Amino acid sequence: MAKVIGPVGIREPALRKSAFIVAIVALCALYSSAQEARPTESQVEAVYLYNFGKFVTWPDRASQRELFGICILGKDPFGEVLDATVNGESVGGKQTKVQRLSNVEEAGSCSILFISAAEEKRLPTILAVAQRMNTLTVSDIPDFAERGGIIGLVKQKDRVRFEVNRKAAEQSHLVLSSELLKVALRVVGK
Amino acid sequence: MAAVRPNSISTRIMLMNMVVSGVALLLACAGFFAYDQITFRQNLVRTLSAQAQIIGANSVSAILFNDPQAATVTLAGLSGSRNIASAGIFTQDGRLLAHYLRETGEDILTLPQLPRNDTEGHWFRTTHLILVRRITSEAKPVGYVYIRADLREIAARLRQYSLIAFTVLLVSLLAAALISSAFRRSVAQPIVQLAEAAKRISQNKDYTTRVTPVGGRNDEVTDLVNSFNEMLRELHKSHDELEQRVSERTHELLAANRELEAFSYSVSHDLRGPLDAINGFSYLLQSHYAAVQDEQARELVGNIRSSGKRMAELIEALLNLSRVTSSAMRLEWVDLSSVARSIIHELRRSAPDREVEFIAPDETDVYGDAQLLRVLMENLLRNAWKYTSRHETARIEFGAVREGGESTYFVRDDGTGFDPHSADRLFQPFQRLHSKSEFPGNGVGLATVRRIVHRHGGEVWAQGAVEKGATFYFKIPSLKNSATEGLRPGAQRAEVRNG
Repeated sequence: MAKVIGPVGIREPALRKSAFIVAIVALCALYSSAQEARPTESQVEAVYLYNFGKFVTWPDRASQRELFGICILGKDPFGEVLDATVNGESVGGKQTKVQRLSNVEEAGSCSILFISAAEEKRLPTILAVAQRMNTLTVSDIPDFAERGGIIGLVKQKDRVRFEVNRKAAEQSHLVLSSELLKVALRVVGK
Repeated sequence: MAAVRPNSISTRIMLMNMVVSGVALLLACAGFFAYDQITFRQNLVRTLSAQAQIIGANSVSAILFNDPQAATVTLAGLSGSRNIASAGIFTQDGRLLAHYLRETGEDILTLPQLPRNDTEGHWFRTTHLILVRRITSEAKPVGYVYIRADLREIAARLRQYSLIAFTVLLVSLLAAALISSAFRRSVAQPIVQLAEAAKRISQNKDYTTRVTPVGGRNDEVTDLVNSFNEMLRELHKSHDELEQRVSERTHELLAANRELEAFSYSVSHDLRGPLDAINGFSYLLQSHYAAVQDEQARELVGNIRSSGKRMAELIEALLNLSRVTSSAMRLEWVDLSSVARSIIHELRRSAPDREVEFIAPDETDVYGDAQLLRVLMENLLRNAWKYTSRHETARIEFGAVREGGESTYFVRDDGTGFDPHSADRLFQPFQRLHSKSEFPGNGVGLATVRRIVHRHGGEVWAQGAVEKGATFYFKIPSLKNSATEGLRPGAQRAEVRNG
């Protein structure tokens, strides 16, 4: 539909020449692969996970965390993709850090907690702990938002979308930006 | 006021006013329009930039979470801005996430390349302004807002401006014309009056005319009018003085001249009385008392007789000269050829043994006084006759040379001639180039000739050399030429004859 014009020229400033060339090659590869196969669901979810951080305000005591922890509880569906997406990025001036947890008690330094579908059975406990830790809970467990999670990822016609539970966010003392609510598929717990 | 001349001062003032106001207005309009264009464009860019900023800020989540609907809703806010033709939100890799088209026919959006370090750029196309702004999140670029604004409004403004400028121009030209005609009275009117007065004066020679200064103003034109009037007064005064002086002098001269003439006439006339007595008594002495005289006495009486006779001739000549000067002139057409022939005829009769050839044109008409012209011809022909008397045969010619519409008449002989160095003395009275014993004469003839020619307003001169003959030229300009122009000599003569 739209022509891609000069993606090279409009990338980040101050690229060195080699990096510049690498970027071109990488982008060309990305572009061609995008033409053949759209980014996988887990790739999109990984990017979303990171982007949610930009539209959420954490309470002061949570702000004392030195790093912006993005944690995965249980079976990791992203693998290398998440690290590749998040590495070197920062949210709210804090360096991001990916952590893989097996127990929700370890989530003290996590700003965002992704709960794998395998943890569905222990969901109430996890959510209760996360709420106390002022952690943004995200999961692709069906009806996650309905069930007390803050952001539930939903698949809709090949697109990944999300539902938001404002009440759960409030209970965790998290403020969700209206921008986020605007693009949410559904907002529950009003 | 005189008829309007295309170059008159008032017309020029009006034109000047109109041109000045027209040019000033056009320049002002152009400047204003240019300023308006610049500010309009700047404002347009500023407005678009603000709109792009808002759209960009509101589209971050839509881009990050790949939500075209949310982006479309954001873009739909632009429908409030009439001049925005199309807009779009592009992802960082140049994919069009959402777009807004004011009308379905709008162009497909193409994203111009934004310089790497710039957050925003705009491009003026012929009909559009394109503005692209980078959308950032957490200081990182995530996409672009593209807005395309219609510039047709500018063209519409231009048209509107031109119309207004044209109307204002027309109205102000009209106003300038009206104001000019109002000012014309105060500025041009005095100058026009002055010019007309000057023209009238130079035509009529009426130096009593005065120009009235307009109004109580004290400007250059008033000065001009005053100076002009002053000059007129001076001119009038000196003109009058001059006229008076000339007439006084003329009177004096005429009186002196008349006195002189009267004197010379009376002297000549009065001299005749005693001279007649001398001549009469010496005649009696010679005729009745010859017997009582010896040879010597008879010779002396003979001398008295011849001297007295000569003196009588001299007095006669002087009286003639004076008559030539004072007699009234009666102008008519005179055939000088026939006058010359009759004179030659008389001369031949007085000396029948001389062989003299005479040549003259059939008819030579001259407009002048018949009596004076006859005296003129007589003097010249007698001269020629006299100065050819030493030669066995002689040839006398009368003729006319026409040159540039003017006739020069001449009397030529092949006689004794004269020394050309003395030519100017020829026409002085009592001046003789030859001794009396050589050729008899009293030295008044050529002086008479000159007077006659001068009275006719002409001139006379002579050419000649010793023993090479002499030629006397004279010109008689047709007196009152304008009055007689067109009248043929024949017709004029017939009239004279009838009268």
